[in-house]
Amino acid sequence: MNELRDQIQNVIATEDVAFFMKGTPYLVMCGNSMRALEALRAAGAPVTAVDVLPDPRIRQELSAISGWPTIPQVFVRGELIGGADIVEELAASGELERTLEEKLGPDYRATGAERVVAVASPV
Amino acid sequence: MNEDRLRPLLEQAFPDAAELSVEDRTGGGDHFQVTVASTRFEGLPLIEQHRLVNEALAAPLADGTIHELRIKTKGTS
Repeated sequence: MNELRDQIQNVIATEDVAFFMKGTPYLVMCGNSMRALEALRAAGAPVTAVDVLPDPRIRQELSAISGWPTIPQVFVRGELIGGADIVEELAASGELERTLEEKLGPDYRATGAERVVAVASPV
Repeated sequence: MNEDRLRPLLEQAFPDAAELSVEDRTGGGDHFQVTVASTRFEGLPLIEQHRLVNEALAAPLADGTIHELRIKTKGTS
């Protein structure tokens, strides 16, 4: 059993918008995570952020699950949307909002503010 | 120069590329902006287009040569 992988999979499966980033929305530690966060905020996405920095295994397990090598990674209802460049492009074209509406319903902006959850189990 | 290591990998994956550039964004040799225009991207969703670039650069992504990667993909038509 791989507990960390289960926890990551659980976040991806249960959160409307799971956002794996370096740092937290209050203290962003990487330019690409900031770009993606700004794009998500502009689209009004109800973001649940997971900081990958506390434990390098989070990033390893996440990339093994998603097949995506870089951070950040954005999932909407369990589906990988992409990294910073994709989210930024989709936000600029209006497609990100359409995807959020389609998957979360037209009132998705009212569904919640930014949250942070941790996946690393204490050693 | 790491730029010179990335370029052949992209050329191999996108031999038809109408545009292909690798830019060292910070001068530090590990933050890159990659731009590729290829017929391979046509008809694919953005995420699959970026996946093809990530696959081409899998080795330097895995060994830490690339610390940060920005990708811009385009079709050729």
